[in-house]
Amino acid sequence: MITGWTDDHEELRAVVRRFLSEKSSTEKARELAIAGAVGDQAVWRQMAEQMDLQGLVIPEEFGGAGMGAVELGVVLEEMGRALYVGPYFSTVALAVQTLTAVGDRAAQARWLPRIAAGELTATVAIADDAPSFDLTAVTATATASRDGWSVSGAKAFVIDGMTADLILVAARTDGDLGLFALAGDAAGLHREAVPTVDETRALARVELDAVPAVRVGDDATQTLARAGDLAAAALAAEQIGGAAAALDMAVDYAKMRVQFERPIGSFQAIKHRCADLKVQIESGRSAAFFAAALLDDGDPEAAIAASTAQAWCSAAYTKASKENIQFHGGIGYTWECDAHLYLRRATVSDIVLGAPRAHRARIAELVEM
Amino acid sequence: MTQQIETGTVMTIESDDEFRARIRQWFADNRPAKRPRDPAERKSWVRAYHARMYDARMTGPSWPLEYGGMGLSFAQQVIYQEELAKARVPSPLGTGLGIVAPTIITYGTDEQKQRWLGPMLRQDLIWCQGYSEPGAGSDLPALRTTARREDDFYVVNGQKVWTTHATDADVFFTLVRTGTQESRQKGITYLIIDAHAPGVTVRPLKDITGGEHFAEVFFDDVRVPIADRIGEENQGWPLVRTSLGHERAAGAMNQATNYRRILDELIALARERGLTTDPLTRDRLADFEIRVRLMKYNASRIINDIIAHGEPGPASSVSRLFITMFEQELHEFAVEMLGADGIVTRDSERAIQRGRWLTGFLGSRASTIGAGTSEIQRNTIAEQVLGLPRDPAMPAR
Repeated sequence: MITGWTDDHEELRAVVRRFLSEKSSTEKARELAIAGAVGDQAVWRQMAEQMDLQGLVIPEEFGGAGMGAVELGVVLEEMGRALYVGPYFSTVALAVQTLTAVGDRAAQARWLPRIAAGELTATVAIADDAPSFDLTAVTATATASRDGWSVSGAKAFVIDGMTADLILVAARTDGDLGLFALAGDAAGLHREAVPTVDETRALARVELDAVPAVRVGDDATQTLARAGDLAAAALAAEQIGGAAAALDMAVDYAKMRVQFERPIGSFQAIKHRCADLKVQIESGRSAAFFAAALLDDGDPEAAIAASTAQAWCSAAYTKASKENIQFHGGIGYTWECDAHLYLRRATVSDIVLGAPRAHRARIAELVEM
Repeated sequence: MTQQIETGTVMTIESDDEFRARIRQWFADNRPAKRPRDPAERKSWVRAYHARMYDARMTGPSWPLEYGGMGLSFAQQVIYQEELAKARVPSPLGTGLGIVAPTIITYGTDEQKQRWLGPMLRQDLIWCQGYSEPGAGSDLPALRTTARREDDFYVVNGQKVWTTHATDADVFFTLVRTGTQESRQKGITYLIIDAHAPGVTVRPLKDITGGEHFAEVFFDDVRVPIADRIGEENQGWPLVRTSLGHERAAGAMNQATNYRRILDELIALARERGLTTDPLTRDRLADFEIRVRLMKYNASRIINDIIAHGEPGPASSVSRLFITMFEQELHEFAVEMLGADGIVTRDSERAIQRGRWLTGFLGSRASTIGAGTSEIQRNTIAEQVLGLPRDPAMPAR
């Protein structure tokens, strides 16, 4: 197993960082968020055509680059830094990784090449009343008939649910738990935007009234657990990128802002809190990296590592984004300052795949405490 | 990764797995005897065990072979540290081996190396660090212990404090002032002082745990041969920063293994007492579980950075603060979790595991003070890693 980033990873990081700084800066995120847009079509196409980012973790046989969770983590860390607005997390971290985890070759052949080409966006909804992968919180039902499956129920917080071309939902059948694919514009599917504190990430409520569906894989209980861990590791990387950007912003400001005839960054009251954040963030980077690396390796420790990363990185992001506002003083409280954009993203990210407490509870279970 | 080992005329290649097996086997064949309760017996037990390790070439993982060390590759040092922690080998007596040894290796004369390095590893000579003074802790360049030249000797006068295990010491490695007080770090000399020389008085200091782990050391006209100076006169300050950075990085894995074991023992205790069903206790224990895993991940990342780039990278500068905070909070929580049973000392019949958690609670107060306070650690991270400006009230470095 690799135990750290290689030169190739650093190169990928640099390329993605440059691309995002040119095409999708935080100013762009702000514009898109205010306009209520869920992304920029032109940027999305460039990501697919020039950078092959949508195909990053798609196997080569389905038109992708065949990379793993570690590489996806590098990309998402950069997207987190830039507060990238667009359906990348939902399409790649959630839908692509779920399709590869569930391992239904027909489904993969049908959708993955189009995702890799940037032609199709997708998302995943597991728990009914939360955007988590908590399989115990699935009550939507799927019924088989002569014409195929149909799904009924509701999913309350679907990431990019308003715009996704393909929605993968978990539903109970007579005997087990299944994963079902629905077209975003299918008959019987009603969707409605859910306004949250983070306007850079669109959530939607999706109501399903006997929506025609395609079953993906068989009993998905085991495979969805891995998909959830992959999603958790991916979000952790995105969160730590956001936390690192918030700290960078705070440090830059503390170097420049003069009060009492000296830069505020020379006061220990500021320094020590920046140092504590650095400790938390570097440990979070280790956590997100190892969650991804252990998942790529199929290591038995991977599930604990994924929840470890999710619990730790959620807390790190929330802390860093709050401290960034505090260090900016009155400026940090204004709408014009980007600081609140990070706090908003952090607040939703904190619970979007399960709250830190839920992940700690899962760790306690997994280590048989 | 493999390393070539030269044994006479035969050249063998040993893989990391073979190396681990060999180290583990040695510790299995040479288990430390049960830890004696009597302090004096315990000291000779520690010394005897380290002498045995030295004679079998099982000490000084990063030290060059010519000075009695093992001359291991970095990857092997990491393996060695993990096995060392698992074998529960007692720590050597004295302090600062990782600081004084590289200083002597880098700046010492051949004669000094011959005289001190082997006996240091074998624990024939117990070494202690004499840097801190009553008025010079975190602000070390303020030190006042003086050394005046007289023929072939320095005559040393002054006081050191917080000298850990000074009562065991045969030798102190110290910083003394040979320049004016105002010269600060430009007038400091590095001296090795014989603890048994006339004029040296060691007075144990009782610490917060009730134990006597450190002492005050007084120098009253102590005559130190010039030959026992490391480096040049007034040029001692840069030597302070010499330490085996990479050995410390490998040691991070030793600590991760060690705290893994301590946390497992705490979880087992909580389970025995039926506390793991309490949601709050469970949440806190899970948080420690997260942190002990992060300790290992951080250590692995540092090790990767050293192997890949030759440098320990950003994770290394933060890992010490991470570990000290963990150590303190873990023991604080253990005492809290044990409730009334947590506050009684080892002399009480209610004491749990001979009061180890209470001792750890008190003892770990030192982890954010010793070897540079957490405040100094934070300043270092803020200034050297994040590039924040220096406090103008502080003198120039």
